[in-house]
This record gives sequence, C-alpha cells and structure tokens, in this order.
Amino acid sequence: MPFTIVTQGTFTQPATAVNQIIPLPSSIDYFKTINYTQMNLAGSVCVGGEWFGGGISAQNDGIRWTKAGSNVINMSLFSTATASNGFTYVTSFPAPQAALTGTTITNASPAVASVTNTYSNGDTVVIYDSVGALMYSGMTFTISSVSGSSFTLLGLNTPGSAATAFTVRRVNQFTPVEPSFLFVTAITQATNAQVTTSQINNLVVGQKVEFTIPASFGMVQLNNFNQASSKPPIVMSIIDPYNFTINVNTSSYTAFAFPASSGSPTTQLFATIAPAGQAATYNPITMTTTGYNFTTVPFRSGVFIPYMYVPAGANSPGGAANDVIIYQAYKMETGTINGNGT
Amino acid sequence: MSFPTGITNVNNFAPELPVQAAEDLLSTPMFNLIHSFGVDLHHAEAYIGKTTRMSRFERLSTDGGQLDGSGVDPTSEVPVRTDIDATMEIYAKSIVTNEQVILWENSKTLTKFTALLGQWLREKEDLLMRDLFSSSVSYLNATGGTNGDQPSNISLNDVNNIETILLGNDARTMLVSIDAMDKFSTGPTRDAFIALCSTNITNDLQRVQGVLLKANYPSQEGLRPEEYCSISRFRFFVSSKAARTPGISTKGNTVYTIPMYGLEAAAKIEQNNYTAVVGYRPPWVVSSVAQNSQLYAKFAIARAITNQNWISGLNVTTFTPS
Repeated sequence: MPFTIVTQGTFTQPATAVNQIIPLPSSIDYFKTINYTQMNLAGSVCVGGEWFGGGISAQNDGIRWTKAGSNVINMSLFSTATASNGFTYVTSFPAPQAALTGTTITNASPAVASVTNTYSNGDTVVIYDSVGALMYSGMTFTISSVSGSSFTLLGLNTPGSAATAFTVRRVNQFTPVEPSFLFVTAITQATNAQVTTSQINNLVVGQKVEFTIPASFGMVQLNNFNQASSKPPIVMSIIDPYNFTINVNTSSYTAFAFPASSGSPTTQLFATIAPAGQAATYNPITMTTTGYNFTTVPFRSGVFIPYMYVPAGANSPGGAANDVIIYQAYKMETGTINGNGT
Repeated sequence: MSFPTGITNVNNFAPELPVQAAEDLLSTPMFNLIHSFGVDLHHAEAYIGKTTRMSRFERLSTDGGQLDGSGVDPTSEVPVRTDIDATMEIYAKSIVTNEQVILWENSKTLTKFTALLGQWLREKEDLLMRDLFSSSVSYLNATGGTNGDQPSNISLNDVNNIETILLGNDARTMLVSIDAMDKFSTGPTRDAFIALCSTNITNDLQRVQGVLLKANYPSQEGLRPEEYCSISRFRFFVSSKAARTPGISTKGNTVYTIPMYGLEAAAKIEQNNYTAVVGYRPPWVVSSVAQNSQLYAKFAIARAITNQNWISGLNVTTFTPS
C-alpha cells in the first residue's frame, strides 16, 4: 500500500454554492477535485484542483485547472491569475484568521457591516473594537448577503448605536464541541419569549438552555437563580435559524437591551445561553414524540479533524451552483513528498 | 620510511567515535493535565449504542402547598426530568517503526515510543475536556481589571461575581478547606470551587487582591503540582494548554477562558469493553516481509456539561498584552 486512495466521494452544490468540509480520518498527502459538470463544458472556470502535502501547497492554495475553449486545459495556482480561494488542509482546530478593518456597522435591522472581504455566506466571524458600538465587541456572528465590500448580520437588530470602525476575523464555523454556548442579542417580553442569537443556532424543539444575562442587559429574571422552579427553559418553537421561543413568560420581566457603548470596558458582557439537555413530550392525539434529538443535542465534537476545506466559487475547487464535484484523497504509507519527514 | 613525531593530540589522533549518548534521554515536555480531575466519571455499557444519557430530576416547586382543611387536595405537580446526552468518540494514534530503526537506534525505541503514546493518550484526553469547557459554557467578561481592555485582566470583583453566580445556583464546592496552622506567612483556604486557567495569566493572578499563593497554604499535603493559588472561593490550576483565543479582545489581544465550577458540573464518560490501551502489532502482522511493527494507543471518551448552573467562568485578557 505505497500510495492509495483513502477517501473519495462526490458532492453536488446546492442552488447557492457553499464551502465544503471533507473529513480525512487518515490524514493525506495528496488531494484532488474534478468539477464533473464544468469539465464537460467550454467555459473558462475551474474544472479541477490538486493539493500536495508536505508544505508544498500553501494554505488556501493549490493547483487549478481551467479550460480554455473546448479541449485545452490551463494550469495555474489558485492564488494567482484569477485569484480565488483554494484548498486549506486543517489538522488542528483553526485559530481566528487575519483581521480585516471595516468602516461601519449600521444600527439597523438587520445590521450591515461594511468591510472589504473575501468571506462567504454562512461564515462565522468575530467582530471587535467596534468603535461606537462596543457593547457587541468580541461577539461572534453568522454573516449573510456577503459581497466583496459588506455583509449582513441577521442576528443583530438595531443594537442601539452604529459602529464607525471595527475589526473582524473569520473563525471556524463550528466550535470544538457542540452544542455550544451562544450570544443572545434580543429577547422579547412575551408569553413565550422569543430569543435571538447572533449566530445560526441549530437548536431544536425540546432542547433546554440556561441563560446567563448580566444586569447590564436587563432581563436578569431569566437567570436560573431568579426562576421560581430553577428549571432550565425549553425551546418551544423555531422561528428561523436565528430565532426561537421558550416556555417562559417574560411579559413582566425587565426589557432586554444592549447596554450603551459608552459603558465599555467596564460594562458586564455578554448575554448568553448554554446547552442544558433536552426532554421529550408525547402528544397522544397525533401520537408524536417531540423533543429528543440524537443528532444535534448530545455533546460531541463539533468538527472532524483533520479535514480539507474546499471553498465554493467558479474559480475555486468547490465549484459553483449545481456543480457536481468528485474528490479523492491519497496517502503515502511511508515518507513525505518533500522527503524531510515532517 | 617516515613516521609521525610529536605530541599525540586530538588533532592528529581524533576519537574513533565522534559522539556518545548521555546516560539517559532528556525529558519529553508535557503540559499540566488540569481539565479532567474535577469532573465526574461515568461508564457507558457496551452493545447499547454510542449515546449515553445522564438524567436529573429537577426540584419541585415550593410555591403553595398549604391545606385549608376543606378536604380539597392541593394541585399535584408533574416532576421534570432533564436528560443530558453525550456521544461516545474514539481516538487513536500509532507509530509504525521499521526494523532498521529498532536495530540501530541507540535508545530503546519501542520502550520510548510506548511512553510517548501513553503521554499522548493523557494529553489528548485533557485537551478534549478543555474543548468541552471552552465551547459549551457561558462565560462573563472580566471588567474589574485596569488594563482598559474588554475583557479586562482578572480582578477580585470578577472572581467574587462568579462565586455569587455559583452560590446563587446552589453549586457545591469541590475542595475542602485547609485549616490554619501556626506557620508564618500562611493562611487558611476555604472550601473551594476550582478554576482552570492558562499559565499566561499567572502574573495577573499574583496581582489579585487577597491572592494566597500555593506556597502560603497552611499545608502542602495532597496538593496537585498544577495548583497555583487560591483567590476568594476558588483554587486556580494552570496549564500552558488551557483555553485561549488569540486576537479577539476589544484591543485585539488574546482572550483567556477560565472555567470555574463545583461538583457535578461536567462529566467524562468511559466506554466499558473499550479500556484505554497502548498496544503493539508485531512486524509479521504489519508487514508482508516482517519489517515494520506498529505501536498504537486508543481510547474512547464522551463528555458533557451536566449542570450549566454549577459551572460559570471568566473571559480575561492579561495586564500586559499577550
């Protein structure tokens, strides 16, 4: 078994192409993709990619195959020519990426951040040093409607003031362990309070959560020691990826609100929820059990490491909308490609 | 026929062996393992799935309950059970060694490699528990420090705030008190929760008002080497691999996460019929020409926060940016 395929498969990009994470249990020395859809066409987009281990291919790079006309293949690096995202082989949990400096984050619903970036829809970022809006400095967000100059924070609605400058780093979409704690950006005063998180929360009905709400955010009555029965609140319904309702009547509670930016750095931050198990209910009329979820609720690793990050894009190895991508990962049993044993 | 004359020295008569091995190998670095000893240990049975459920009955409401003598019964209450699930995962590492390494390497390679795998096993387990604490627990930013950052460096007020939260949630302390003794410069420690933090904040720990360094405990008996100090109701244990996230404080500095908890806050689950093991596969099994042997280590682990109310903690930065 000197050199063999250790993992292979295919994926089809959805209507909005997304970055792919390919788990690689045995680690690898060589990885390739073929865009089976585009390979058959005459366009000039990426039709294949190759990645070499041993430090030869840089992070976010690799060899790109593009077609020129119907029968000619050009080869370049992802980092050159039409620069685009390439392969990133991840062997340990990634640290936050390099910082970008942005200009504004609106005080709107939803908030929109202006920054020159190469991020993708669904990426997770940490925003900090948000001048004029320090009450969410250090908070993690899922981003959407990404363009090269801005993105939208669907989990942040009219926080109280706009930021006139900020810094942002992209972080891993998953935490090392899931389910994870989440930042809370809004809670309504209602019979079944609606909670908004800064990220897509992946919560399910029947899941239990515990709130940690500093006095600076108002609604401290949701903290466990202020609850009459000390029972963890239960998720009652999922409104959308950022919003859910709980079985707690917050109508008479103090309103939830971000503290003023001027309070930082001494204002207590942040309001959060943490996973606290689950419980089932049974409806004898519909004969359905609600509440137990064995996929997303148990504590488990958030992401399998090592993996290959295959970014989406017409000039990237992950392809564009509806493309069918074939991938294969190879491993050399002994030695490495550059021979230094590392 | 001529022959060399003069003093015989190392220039004209060099040692036949250019190097010798010292009498023993140097120490292999190993970080402090602090993330497992404070958690509950459970065991999962074999043959019944990979998800372990730990259940807790929540306490009953103390509202009402008075009988008015009319014969009307008080409202009955449906007890609530909370189920905490954790998925078993298996981790392994191996070293495949060619016979020529074993034949010619001066040190006893198989013995040393076995020790390395044993160390990997414990280190990996520790980091997995660290990741649980850093991912799945709510933390508050320290604000009482004076470095002007958000979060700030650690302060007594911040530590006391976490104690208030844990006590308010009826968390129980984990470590017993150490009674005062008639020794200079020592002071008693109260029964305490534990706190796990990076070695990078030891400088700041020493600055916290009321800190009692480990050397100033009345007794050193039974203390773990990883322990650093006692502050208020917490005893701090340090590791170079404790949780941190670089570059995300308001000033762009590293944020350190300090889980602080009491009894039954978290659990580690081991798998029955899958004991942690360091094993050996001989060359005639691994290689068709019996040239490569394999050492391996593997273990199974599931982890969970079993009571979010009994664990809290701080995000801090360091007084001197790091």
